[in-house]
Amino acid sequence: MRIYWITWAVLLAFTVVMLWADGAAIPRAAFLVFMIAAMLTKASIIAGNFMHLRSERAGLVATVVIGLLVTGLVLYVLIAPDAARIHTMVGAQ
Amino acid sequence: MAHAAGQTIDRWNGGVCPFDAGWRKVMMWWFIVTDGLLFAGFLASYGYARILAFHWPNQSSVFSLPYIAAMTFVLITSSATMASAVDATRRSRLRASLPFVLLTAAGGAIFLGMQAFEWRHLIEAGARLNTNPWGDASFGAYFFLLTGFHGLHVLTGVTVLATTAVRLAKGLSTAEGVEMAGLYWHFVDLVWVFIFTLFYLV
Repeated sequence: MRIYWITWAVLLAFTVVMLWADGAAIPRAAFLVFMIAAMLTKASIIAGNFMHLRSERAGLVATVVIGLLVTGLVLYVLIAPDAARIHTMVGAQ
Repeated sequence: MAHAAGQTIDRWNGGVCPFDAGWRKVMMWWFIVTDGLLFAGFLASYGYARILAFHWPNQSSVFSLPYIAAMTFVLITSSATMASAVDATRRSRLRASLPFVLLTAAGGAIFLGMQAFEWRHLIEAGARLNTNPWGDASFGAYFFLLTGFHGLHVLTGVTVLATTAVRLAKGLSTAEGVEMAGLYWHFVDLVWVFIFTLFYLV
């Protein structure tokens, strides 16, 4: 049971650091990289420790993680350049 | 033919149970993946609108971030109590898991109350699905869509947890039942991590 409360403390610590970073004067690119890295770390801690994905069979872990991450990434990567293009196009008018 | 089938089974090393998990758990994971993809679609759509927008509101001037952090605290704490409940059932202490399940349900109810208060505050300030006083019109739509859909999941989770608690009290629930409720609850927490970061902070 101890591991769950250590996980809880780590997640809270991440949340506090993310809030601190939100108010700190950090360059936008570095801020985005930090936030996304912290978000993915928190998500993997929850999935690994709370959802016990760490102790599941590799096939199940791969199906869940690759399925979600790759599809999510494809969804975003396919449409984001289009949004940027329209943004630039409208801005130029 | 039988030999070929045997080789296939050996390669997968799982026989009739390739994931080495019961059908309930596998189905719950499939549900989590599909529901996660739904949220991924919403968040990708939000990302699109965000890049497209010229005047996206500054979140720290719209929301009280310490308040949102408190909501996050409640949800993370409820995840820890749920994990403790599942742990107790794994040690064959079904009755001992009841207080943890109740605490988790209470955490979910508190989160919903806090979200209702936040919604009321924003609606009073003029936020609507198609307009808001702070900037790009789609801000309100994405706020209500993302937090509303997540809130609906929390409400479902609280209902599942309340049912599990009643079944535990009556001695009807199994360790697997508590574990399934736990998987769903942690998924709700997991989704909040993405919404909290991408919508409230970034």
